[in-house]
Amino acid sequence: MNITFNNISKQYKGKYALSNFTSELENGVYGLLGTNGAGKTTLINIFVGILKSDGGQILMNGSDVRNLGVDFLSHIGYLPQYPQFYKNFEVMEFLMYMCVLKDIPPASGRKRAEELLEIVNLSNAAKAKIGTLSGGMRQRVGIAQAMLNEPDILVLDEPTAGLDPQERIRFRNLITKFSENRIVLLATHIVSDIEFIANQVILLKDGQLIKQDTPAALINEMNGKVWSVSATDQTVDEKLRHLKISNMIREHDEIRMRVIDDKKPDISAVNVQGNLEDVFLYYFGEAKQW
Amino acid sequence: MVKLIQFEYRKHFLKTSVLLAVIIFSVLNVIKINGIYDSSSLFSHNYFGPWESMYWEMYEDFSGKITDEKIEKLIVIYRPLAEQTADHTASTAMDNPDTYTGNLYTDAYFFSGCFVKPMEYFYMYRSYANGVASAAKENVAFFETLGNTYEYRKNAAIAELFQGRVVTDFTYTEMYQYYLQYDFSAFLALLICLYGLMNVFVAEKETEMDTLLLTTKSGGSKTVLAKLISSILFVCGICVWFWLVDFIAFSCIFGSLKAASAPLYALENFANTSINVSLGQYAVLSGIVKTAGVLVLGMAFLLISCFFKNTLLPFLSSLSVTIVLIYAHETFMSSGRILRKIINPFALIANRVLFRQIEFINLFGFPVPSYAAALLCAAIWNVLLITGIVIFVRKSTIRKNGGEKACRYLNMK
Repeated sequence: MNITFNNISKQYKGKYALSNFTSELENGVYGLLGTNGAGKTTLINIFVGILKSDGGQILMNGSDVRNLGVDFLSHIGYLPQYPQFYKNFEVMEFLMYMCVLKDIPPASGRKRAEELLEIVNLSNAAKAKIGTLSGGMRQRVGIAQAMLNEPDILVLDEPTAGLDPQERIRFRNLITKFSENRIVLLATHIVSDIEFIANQVILLKDGQLIKQDTPAALINEMNGKVWSVSATDQTVDEKLRHLKISNMIREHDEIRMRVIDDKKPDISAVNVQGNLEDVFLYYFGEAKQW
Repeated sequence: MVKLIQFEYRKHFLKTSVLLAVIIFSVLNVIKINGIYDSSSLFSHNYFGPWESMYWEMYEDFSGKITDEKIEKLIVIYRPLAEQTADHTASTAMDNPDTYTGNLYTDAYFFSGCFVKPMEYFYMYRSYANGVASAAKENVAFFETLGNTYEYRKNAAIAELFQGRVVTDFTYTEMYQYYLQYDFSAFLALLICLYGLMNVFVAEKETEMDTLLLTTKSGGSKTVLAKLISSILFVCGICVWFWLVDFIAFSCIFGSLKAASAPLYALENFANTSINVSLGQYAVLSGIVKTAGVLVLGMAFLLISCFFKNTLLPFLSSLSVTIVLIYAHETFMSSGRILRKIINPFALIANRVLFRQIEFINLFGFPVPSYAAALLCAAIWNVLLITGIVIFVRKSTIRKNGGEKACRYLNMK
């Protein structure tokens, strides 16, 4: 499976939400990373057919998806941002409803729904009303419905928003489980969601693609750009004003800061190993953020 | 599609709150009907006394085909009573053993209200109808000479309608008199429809499901169609339920199903009715026409809800629209402004206004009865409202997602 975005653009009231976005995706997990308002949801909405782009085209295995029409939807599994689903529906009932919407025959749909509930560890909740589920359980129902049609492309928009750490980890593991032989496009502004599961990270800022690479490569690029700097209570304010700081920790009388900078920010600065959060801050963070 | 409709119905209408509302309102409806019986029926214990058993005994003698013997027998009973009570000097004692009810005045009231006046009306109706038909025929000839085609056709229709009208049988009609005046259940049905329909489109926005629906094969226009069909089924189901409750409650509380085969004009209020049907047929017809009226309002509720993201505002807006329509209906129901009367869907809900008298609308020179014109208006309203719903549901989902145009792979093939 191959998806190509060619110069996708979208304007709202004269302002670009997405500008000439070009990218190529093959099977694997793609983390679409950007701050709020970076254009992630716009890109996803264009991809899944909710919005029409102002320009550009999306190709699936070389064919324009617009020419595929309704058939393209059978290749997609989509989990939108903040879905509540229907509180008065039982979990299995909801999945069967989604089967009807996706034109999946009832018998095979029920079998598939049972399998998926087993995978997302919700078999015991099949008869539970959706209104009684926790946020994490509801998201697992969400990913189950997205997987009903065994899609080639799984699109997840901020799937872990509002989940507790345990549910986050569980959800990440599910994504990895479902990523075999398909494209998973996961939009998020939470770095830890994709740090360990994404094969590639797409960095989107102000509607523009600024980088697409593997997490390892992106982290490698940070070599020599991540520093550990010590400060005292007297000097910390001055440093906060001038440096891009990803983390601070108090160690006895001094404060140890993790600083992102192209050059050595302080005489006492020590180079340290970067991580994906540092990459995020390097591209999206701003000095004087404090 | 059938499955989709089933799920839409289950999603929006098979909810505890809706079922509870139906049960509570049904009980309320029966209580109201019982209240009508208590306060208005001649058989009510709140009246002069329990006359019911006595009535049915007498009814055996006078019911059925109206004959000179029956009339004579009734006169023999009633005339002395009328004479004795005419000057108001008769005894007011309530234990007179020589009376039917214990008192001469109540005897007179009982026979007058239950037998004499209805019998007189039934008997005299033939000549009244003949008079109307003759006058209409004269008008036909007159307008023919004037070359006024519309009036000619109108009077010809009236003559044909009244020709041969006759009430042959004496029958108990009190239940139908109140049944056909009863609108409270329609108001309850409207409220339940309003409550149920508010969620149909708003729920998708509240749950953020509208976005997800658009990414599924059947989530676009098919789902909108399924919503519309399930809403229509819900409205029809609620209406049928309440009309059944009405009919059963009236029949049980008033204790009679008689008069179903009597003509509609056997009721004095419907002496000039525009249709020649029996009371039983009219009960069914009225139910269908009421349902058509509720359906128009239901579609209006759905359209209003399309513009909102939560249920409260559209609920209040729809309720306001309903109240305005009721007010407009009350204002124009007795006026000669037929057009203003028939464009209001509430005229179909309180449809006796359309059926109890003959009114015509001039449609390209042809006299169309007001009830037919009102049904035509309802059909036009429904087409306009459904078109509006289809357009605005789509637009609001796209607008919500920040776009002016939707790609919708669904619509590309």
